[in-house]
Parts: sequence; structure tokens; C-alpha cells
Amino acid sequence: MATEENLESMIVQNVLKELAKNGFLQNVKTASVPQVSETPTHRSIVNDADEYIELPPISEILIHEPIHKETVAALKAMTPARIGVGRAGPRYRTTTLLHYLADHSQAQDAVFLDVSDEFLQRMGIFEVQTQVSDREEHLTRPDLGCRLSREAREKISVNCKKNVQVQVFVADGLSSKAIESNVAELLPALIQGLQGEGITDIGTPFFVKYGRVRVEDEIGILLNAEVVVELVGERPGLGTANSLSAYIIYKPTEKTVEADRTVVSNIHMGGTPPVEAGAFLAGLIKDILKAKTSGIKLTTG
Amino acid sequence: MRDRNRDELISVGIDIGTTTTQVIISKLTLENLAGRFSVPRVQITQKEILYRSAIHFTPLIEHHLIDAPAVAALLSAEYSKAGFTTGEIDTGAVIITGETAKKENAKAVISQLAGFAGDFVVATAGPKLEAIMAGKGSGAQAYSVKHKKTVINIDVGGGTSNYVVFNNGKVVDTACINVGGHLVELEPLGSRVAYVAPAARKVMRECGLTIEPGQTAAYADLKKITDKMAEAVVAVFAGTPGQGMAGELMMTEDLRRDYILDTVMVSGGVADFVYDQEARALSMEEVSRYGDIGPLLGVSLHKAVLESGLFVARPEETIRATVIGAGSQSLEVSGSTISVVEDLLPLTNIPVVKPFAGLAPADPAKVKTLVERSLEISGFEDTSVALAIAGPADMSFNSLQSLARGLTAGLTREIERGRLIIIVLEQDCAKALGQSIKHLIPGNRSIVCVDQVLVEDGDYIDIGKPIIGGRVVPIIVKTLVFNRPDND
Repeated sequence: MATEENLESMIVQNVLKELAKNGFLQNVKTASVPQVSETPTHRSIVNDADEYIELPPISEILIHEPIHKETVAALKAMTPARIGVGRAGPRYRTTTLLHYLADHSQAQDAVFLDVSDEFLQRMGIFEVQTQVSDREEHLTRPDLGCRLSREAREKISVNCKKNVQVQVFVADGLSSKAIESNVAELLPALIQGLQGEGITDIGTPFFVKYGRVRVEDEIGILLNAEVVVELVGERPGLGTANSLSAYIIYKPTEKTVEADRTVVSNIHMGGTPPVEAGAFLAGLIKDILKAKTSGIKLTTG
Repeated sequence: MRDRNRDELISVGIDIGTTTTQVIISKLTLENLAGRFSVPRVQITQKEILYRSAIHFTPLIEHHLIDAPAVAALLSAEYSKAGFTTGEIDTGAVIITGETAKKENAKAVISQLAGFAGDFVVATAGPKLEAIMAGKGSGAQAYSVKHKKTVINIDVGGGTSNYVVFNNGKVVDTACINVGGHLVELEPLGSRVAYVAPAARKVMRECGLTIEPGQTAAYADLKKITDKMAEAVVAVFAGTPGQGMAGELMMTEDLRRDYILDTVMVSGGVADFVYDQEARALSMEEVSRYGDIGPLLGVSLHKAVLESGLFVARPEETIRATVIGAGSQSLEVSGSTISVVEDLLPLTNIPVVKPFAGLAPADPAKVKTLVERSLEISGFEDTSVALAIAGPADMSFNSLQSLARGLTAGLTREIERGRLIIIVLEQDCAKALGQSIKHLIPGNRSIVCVDQVLVEDGDYIDIGKPIIGGRVVPIIVKTLVFNRPDND
């Protein structure tokens, strides 16, 4: 008797073969090609048999014989939402379902995978950890993700300058993919922008594993930084798993509340491009330093 | 400090056409639509027309000069009637259209008038822009967005008919034909011919008619002429291109016709007679009441347009389409993260040069060569030019640095001569590119870098002072090409 896992794999294989036979899938490769395609519009699925297939791009109209095809295309171009996908009876068509599963998997990967060592090495930034001990706890105990471990406090104190004007750091938050796909473009643009504004007293950036937004308060207090900028991975959705936010705070204290933070969200290639976001943040930080406040007081004051 | 999330601009539109001159004043509301937690996204959210002038006859001296003092007087009278002073006008456009654009002093009059009309009021002309403004003002553009259709708007004026094709809001084609309601002038309420424009002579010849000024024209003969004209107007988009009367009267290239039209809309003064059900049977007095054959051309067009096989949609504006297009549709806003030095603005009449066909090359040396070559070819010696660039090779920090290096190298001569560095990007990266260039030439305070604006080689661009707390700049893209005088 087949275990449930085997059964599932069997179904998937049969469905894929059937689809290929009917010409629903382009480019089915039976050879063993384990790597994943990097073309973003053609997501790939690798199944147990190392078979790999490419799905048609998500922009494809799946409605059967649409009367106004161009109208559907125009509407689809306005949103990443899954519209104009047709249906099979009351359900999704197979391509839609597979895209959905692929996107859902990406979202899960973003939450469950670590930011790679290779990435941190390439960026030349050191890593510290919050009081969270593993991924499971990171998800269930947000309070611990707001506090640095004792080792982290020591490492930061040793490696970072105190009393700087601007301290930038990176935290995985809920998407390690957001970090890996945006920080390398954003950070140099931010630093170049700050220097261009005459702000040169910038602290050494580092990475906080299992970090939440509020960990920036402790870091700000520890380093007595005037402005703290946290680049943190946003909770992934089915539209994108790569979205990054910047939480900026002026002189955080134990009494800091959420309204004291200035937030810039939706930083990714499909939103505000990370380079442009870096340049924008530089100007925003200049305003915060000038106003000596951040968050709601900055917008209304 | 003004509100950082909302701003209002008073915009004037002035249309000096073959037959009529009109003024409108409108209020444009700009708002930051992004939430507190995002990078700003400023858009024009409302366009309200505050004042519509009467429709005046364009003051001309003989048939070849615009009566500039009379036009200026007309404009000041309208401003005071509307309750506005020049100082209160933030922006707008003066457009000189149709046959009037061919007058000897057209260029001089329009630039003087733009200066007189307000601070950031720009001068525009050319059949392409005229067509686009009319199509925006008539509502054809909005219609194409709302119904997701390909719509052709024909603005039938006194001297010319201007075509613009919109597909889902985008301009895909334009053309212009020398057909209009004022090409044959009549004694008002009578039947004596007062003037016959050269284009009308061609039509008459085709109809086997010769009617000279001073003669009396028969209704049937005039109808033959307007039928022929209407046939030519429709042939441009529904017939065989370049053939017969249409081919002879075209003032621009033919429409490309590489798209399928769904809908036709007619605007301009003549349009009222196209859509008016009661105007089908006109008496001679009704035909000549405006001193030309306009009403009759409308009647002829009604039939011709219906026979084109396209769906005939009703415009929101007819005779005022162009002036409304100029007054409330010509201004756009840049992207909301830009890099500009306020003191340098406004900039007007900046010629656009497009150095790369697609995205910029990744190699700075290649960027340099292409920039230098495009500047040389364009040959603008005594003015700063705007470089139009789709975007860097890719949206990475390194590619932006390469682009900045290549641009700075390619613009060395311009920089040495004290010219401004004006970059107009399509993709959202103006702030980052601006700061990258500044990083390479520290201390240079003459960099204007804006994005999310579509411009083409040969366009001209006007860039206004920043609004909404300095977040965006107003931009007017235009073509300054004046019509070539035809052989009269």
C-alpha cells in the first residue's frame, strides 16, 4: 500500500504527463534536470522524479475563447492578482492551481529558510541572533524576536561605533528572500545617498537573525544612535515573497511605541525598486535628523 | 509650508484656431495617493473647469497674419471676466492650431502670449499635439480606457481635421488632413462666397466646380464640396490610404493602420452638426450663419462617419475639445522620487534627445559614445538638452553606477560649457541616478533627474517648479513642430 506521500507524488506525475500530452504545458523535460529555471515568469516545479516542467507565464489568459481578449489583457496588466484565469467547472484550471501552489511554496520558503551565509559574506556584514533559538520559536514567540541575546549585545558593542548619527541593520523578519533580493541594491544606494546629503557618521551595518521590528529599539539604545534604520523582510503574500520594509526611528527609548516609527514598505522589484528606495530613504533620514523626530510626529508636525 | 499631500494648480488653456479662439481656466488637484507607509505616489486626482470663455473669432489681419494685440486684449478681457490675474495662473498651454499655425507671425505670437498668460504656461503647436489635445479634451482617451477600445478621434476644425488613435489610453497614431469648415467662407446668412482656401480649390476642382469669391454658391454645389471633403476625412481611416482626395489633402504621413479600430468620435466645431439629429436639413441661412460651410460639412460627415462601419461614439466636448485638452490635460506629473535643484526650475522648451534605443548599455564606455553621438547628431548648440533614457541595463546599484559614469563622461563637454544635466527616465530610478551622478561630480548643482515620464526623440519638454512639498515636478511634453505653409 502506498503511503500518502507516494500517492501524492504519483498523482502529480500523472497529472503533469497528461497535461503535457494535451499540450497544456510547454517544454516538458524528461531528462534529469534538477536545477530550477531562473526566468521569473516561467516558474518551475521539480517533482520527485527530477522531472521539471515550466508553467506558462502568469500573464497568460486562461479564459476559454474570451470575447474581449485585449480587455482581459489590459485588466490583467493592472494587477498581479489572479484574474482572467478561467475555470474548470467550479474550480481553478490546472495551470492556475500549479501557479498558486508554486507561489505558496515560495511564500513558505521565504518564512522558513535562513538568510544564507554566502549572502552575508558577500555583503561583508556580521550576524547576531535575538533571544529566539530556532525558526519554530521565531514564529511562535514574537516577543523574543524583539530582544537581543547576551552574545548579540556583546558582539554589537565590540564591532559597532557608538553615538553615530545613523545606524543601519538588517533583520530577517518574516522573509529571508526579501533580504537576499533587495539589501544588496538598497544598502549601497542608501549609504551613497546619506553621504551625498553630508551625513557621514554612519554605523557599521550587521544582520540580526530571528529579528522582529521592535528589536531596533534595543539596538538604538545600546549604541546610542540618533537614527536607527531597520531593513526587515515583510510577511510574504502570494503576490510577492520578496517585499522589504524600512522601519526608521529617531532616538528610541523603552517608552517607544509603534507610532514613533516611520515606515517605508513595499520595497521590491515589483514595487519601489530597492535602489530607488535607498535614495528615497536617504532623503527621509535627512528630514528625520532635521526634525529630530520620527513616525506620526514627523508627518503631522 | 503647503500641504505635503495635496496641492491645487490653476491651469489655463488657450486655443487659437483657424476660425475661433477660446480660453478655459481649470483647477487641477494633485494628491499623494500612497499611504503613510509607502514611498509617495502623486497623481492628478481631479480636473475641474472653472471658466469657459465665449467662443471668439480668431483676430486676423488679412488672411496671413494673426492680430497679436487683439489676441492679447481678448485674453486679458477673459482673465478679468473669469476673475483671475496672470499671477494666479500656475500653468497651462497655449496652442495654435489648424491654418492659424501657418500664419507668418504664428511662432512669435504664441511665445509672447505664453509669457503673457502666466508663469509656467507653455507654447505648443503642431498637428500631432493638436490632435492629441483634442482627443484628450473630447473624452476619446478616457473612453478608450473605460471601454478598453481602440478609438479614433477626429477633431474637425476650421482649417484642418486632426486624427488621434487611442488604445486603452495610449496614443498609438496621429495624422492631419487639410479639411475644415472654414476653408470656404460665406457671407453670413447669405450665399455669397467670401474666400476660398487653396485646399478647398482642390476639392472644387475634383467636383468639377469653380466658385470664386464674390460669386453666389448654390446649396447643391456646396453640398457636393462638403460631401467630397467628408469622404476624404473618412477615407483616411476607413478607405484606401493615400488615394484620391484624401491623399492630396494629407498634411502629415498617413495613419499607420496597423491596429483595428472599434470606435470613432468626432470633435471640433463641426461636430455639433454631426451629432445633432435636427441639423440634417439645413436652410442656406443656417449653413452660412457662422460665415462658412462648417454646418454643412457636419451634415456630410454624419453620413460618411456612419458608413465607415465603426461604432460612432459621442464626445463629451465638441468645439471646446482642444482648448480643454490644452488647459486641463496637457500637464502631467513626474514620478514622486526625483532629484532636482529647485532654483534651476522652471525649464522650458528643452529639446529631447534619446541616446539609446532600449535600456542603456551596461558598459559605461558605450554609454559615453552613444550620448556623444546623439548630441552631435541632434546639433543643439546653444541650449541644454534633456536625455531621455528608458532605464539602466538592470535595476541594480552597479548598473546605475555604470550608467552614471557613462553619462557624466558623455556629457563632459556640456558640463564644461555650463549646460544643465537633464535626465528624463522612464523607469522609477531618478533619485538614485541623480545622487549617483552627484557623487561623481560633487559640487555640481545643475542636475535635474526625473522619472516616470515618456518622451521621444524630437519632443520638447517643460519642467515646472516642484509641488506637493517638493515631491514631484509638473511636466508638459510637446512637439514644437509648426506646420509647413502649403503652396499658397
